Order: sequence, then structure tokens, then C-alpha cells
Amino acid sequence: MSAVRRILAVVGWHATLYRRVWFGSVTVSFINPVFFLVSIGFLLGTLVDRSNPDLGGLSYLQFVAPALLATTAMQTASSVTTYPVIAGIKWLRTWHAVVATPVRVSELIAGVLAWTGVRIAIAVSIFAAVAAIGGGFASPLAVLAPLAALLCGVAFGALLAGITARVENPQWLAAIYRFGLVPLFLFSGTFFPVSQLPDWVEPLAWATPLWHGVELCRDLASGSVAAGATTLHIGYLVALLAAGTMLAVRSTAGKLEA
Amino acid sequence: MNEGPLIEARGLTKRYGDFVAVDGIDFAVERGETFGFLGPNGAGKSSTMRMIGSVSPVSGGTLRVLGRDPEHDGPAIRERLGVVPQEDNLDLELDVQENLFVYGRFFGLPRDEIRRRTAELLEFVQLADRRESRVDSLSGGMKRRLTIARALINTPELMLLDEPTTGLDPQARHALWDRLYRLKQQGVTLVLTTHYMDEAEQLCDRLVIMDRAKIVAEGSPRNLIDRFVEREVVELRFGSQNGPPPVGDVGQHVEEMQDRIVIGANDGDAVVDEIHRRGLRPETVLVRRSTLEDVFLRLTGRSLVD
Repeated sequence: MSAVRRILAVVGWHATLYRRVWFGSVTVSFINPVFFLVSIGFLLGTLVDRSNPDLGGLSYLQFVAPALLATTAMQTASSVTTYPVIAGIKWLRTWHAVVATPVRVSELIAGVLAWTGVRIAIAVSIFAAVAAIGGGFASPLAVLAPLAALLCGVAFGALLAGITARVENPQWLAAIYRFGLVPLFLFSGTFFPVSQLPDWVEPLAWATPLWHGVELCRDLASGSVAAGATTLHIGYLVALLAAGTMLAVRSTAGKLEA
Repeated sequence: MNEGPLIEARGLTKRYGDFVAVDGIDFAVERGETFGFLGPNGAGKSSTMRMIGSVSPVSGGTLRVLGRDPEHDGPAIRERLGVVPQEDNLDLELDVQENLFVYGRFFGLPRDEIRRRTAELLEFVQLADRRESRVDSLSGGMKRRLTIARALINTPELMLLDEPTTGLDPQARHALWDRLYRLKQQGVTLVLTTHYMDEAEQLCDRLVIMDRAKIVAEGSPRNLIDRFVEREVVELRFGSQNGPPPVGDVGQHVEEMQDRIVIGANDGDAVVDEIHRRGLRPETVLVRRSTLEDVFLRLTGRSLVD
């Protein structure tokens, strides 16, 4: 049997699990963007001076909506590749059952990341539809923004799976959320341009993966795509995806194949 | 078709850092037999099973499973194995038949075949009426039976069972033994680990006793009893606070413990007569046939292993 079929079997397993919870999950994927776009995009946005050159002529809603697309992808990824990874390795030990079959660790990880992609695709499609209806996108190129968010999210998912498989500890995971994901969410140029950060902090923001995802989505949604910057963002995220996947396979093999 | 042993290990070794879990063991398992690994906790049984299951790399020596090398042919070997792990790892969030369906897909089985096998297997493990129950609502014995059904989804030639009945009540254990016995009659090769001697005597054609990472004895249950212990055992219990009085030279093997004496003897009744002739008055006297447990304790010692 081919590796592709085994990877698809892992995706099918997750789809079977999701069948029991899809309604609640999809509802949250719909309500979440509505709340964020209304409260921050519209209501907070009315306080923001539109003529500020850092906004590049966008309304605050148009500035923040594509960024929230990228953060939605990151959050969706984290719900698939953090606690469920510990459950598979340690709590329910279902991943041990998987690797007792012909499925290899690398195929298990590939399947989990493919499923992460499916979940992100669902969430960002709903978000993008809501944002588009609300006038959150300035350019027709915005149709590509969900793909950019998908890349950003899966790359994050791979990295998080790799870290989670290694630490295998819910306290550590809580710390990663508090000191990793939440600051990224707040400071990666989601709600304000990173040029507003102190000069010495700004390069830090450039180094974070979410900033590249946010910028890529924002450039597409506002139609101001520059070849150099786009290549850099995509290159960064693809490299992160590759490195994260390798880390995830290695950490997981260390736990399942000792 | 390859007619050599189904599993063959020479000098098989497993190390975790400096710790040697399995220390150069040799064994072979033939097609159709039921082979057991007996030993106290930490003897290296589970490590050996995981190497046979082709999920744990061999640290030294050679291992062939189904004529192949686990290091290179892991997926091809695992395709023909059924694995029942020590700890249940069913998907608690899925129902009974979904567990089998998902697992069958990992083996690349077509949907129709999985559905057909599922119906047969749930009948076989007496869970047909629970097919739509969520797994977390099942009892311990039912979960074990479901794990066995799951391990059979790919019609394996070789089944690996790591302590299959640990933690089950007597009814559930006997129900499980019946299922395993039927598999054995169908020609499935079974390899199991256990620290229940009655389980080994019931099921195993041949077994090895492991202690501290090594194999200390090998044979059929009967053969091991004949070789390592006397035909009968006399157990004497004394009530005194000072421990049992010395019984002297009786039987073939005398072991004195804190409050009782265990004597291995070819003729138990003669030993009891001799004890009485010497004026000793034990509170209780038990004469019984030797079991595998006596072999086990004789070979691996009576001290507790943690």
C-alpha cells in the first residue's frame, strides 16, 4: 500500500472524530470573526484616524481583517496540533496504536498536518466570507489571502506539533500559549503596524512567523503586492513548514519508537 | 512460502542509554504455536514485544519477523501483525465499530471488507450488541475484547499480546482465554507476555522465563515443571510469632520463610508423615501439585520486584 493511502487513512480518522463535533466547531468559526470584526474592526476602528500614513490608505477594518485571517489560521492550527498531540502520545495513546499498523511516524505526522490544513481551510474560508461581506477587503486579490493564511497556519501547526511532542507536558503547553501565541497575536502587526514598535523591537517582529503571515494576507487583501516582499514571506513560511515537519517527525518518533 | 520460524532472535539486545532492558536473548517461534514470555515486572518482556512489533529499533543482535528485517521492512511486517498492547489505546471518542473501521483503513483495507470483518469480529468477541456504543462506556473486559477484535481486523498471521488479561476480573479473563484458544485452533500464531502462571499454563505450547533482561529457562509448561521443580509441593504454616521451627532434611527442596515453609517433594504425603513423626505441629498443611508458579519463583526468586 502506498504512503499516500496511509496518510489519507490518518486524515480519514480525524474526519471521523470531527463528525461528532463539526457543528459546534463551524459555528465558532463563524461567530468568532463576526465578534472580532464588529468589535475591533468597526467599533474600535472608528477611533482610528484613517489619514495615518501607516495605514496606507486603508480603513482600520481593512487593515485588521486580513491580519485576523492569519491569526485565525494560527489559532485553528493550535487546536489541532497541541493538546491532541499529547493525547495521542500520552493520554489516550492512540498514536501508539497507529504506528503498530503499517503507518509510519512520518505518515502519521503528514496526515495530522494535512488534517490541520483541512481545519484551517474551513475556518479561514468562513472568516474570509464574513470579512468580504463586511467590506474588510480592499482588493479582489483578497481571494488569495485564505491560501496565504493556510500556509501560515500549517507551518505554525507543524512547529507546534514538534514542540508539543517533545515537551509532552500540559503546563509547558499553557506557557507556550501565554508567552508564545498570545504575544504573537498581539504584537505581530495584527492590530497596529510594527513600525509603531520601538525601533529596536521592530526586527524581532520581522523574525516571527505570524508577522510574515499577517503581512502576506494584508498585502493580498489590499492589492499592494511587491514581488520581493511576497517571495520573502512565502519563503519564510515554507521553510518554517519544512523545519517544523522535520521536528515533529523526529520528536514523535522519539516518543513512539523508543 | 518461507517455512522457517515466524520469529527468530539471536543475541537480541535492547538498550536505553546505559540501561540494558534486553540482554542478548535467543529464541524462535514456529508457525501455529502459542509462545509465552514470562517474567516479573521489568524483566524485558515488553521491550522484546515492541521490537518484534517493529516499532522499537533493535540495539544489538539480529531479529527476523515473518522472514523479514524489522529495521527495513517495518510497514510490510506490521501489515501482517495483530498487536494487543499492555495499555488500552482505543479511541475513546469513537464508537465500537468506528474504532474498527478507522483501524482497518490504516491497513489499507477496502471499506466493504472492513464492514464485513467488523460484523464477524464483533460477533467473535461478543460485542455485536455494543457496535454503536462509545468506547468510554465499555467495561475493562469489553475494551480488551475490542482491542483484540481491532488487532484481528487485518487477519494477521501473528498476534502479539502484551499482558492481555492484566487488570481483568476472573470472568473476563476466562472469556478472553476462550477467544484466544479459538484463534490458536484457527492456526494463528500467538505470542504473549504474562505474569499469570495459570494463563501461561492454559495457553502456551512453549514459553521462556525472563529475569533481569535474560532468558533463564525455556520449554513447555509441563517440561519446565518436570525439570525445575519436584512433582508436589507441601506448604506448612506455623502460627508462632518466632517463625517456623527448623524442619530439617525433608523432601527435595526446602524454603523457609517468615511464617511458612515450602517444601518441594516427589511424594508430598510422605513428607507430611515425616514432619509429624518429628513432632512438629504446623497450623495448616497443604499438599498440592507443582505449578509453573513454583518454577517461576524458584528461578526468579521470591523478593519483590518494583
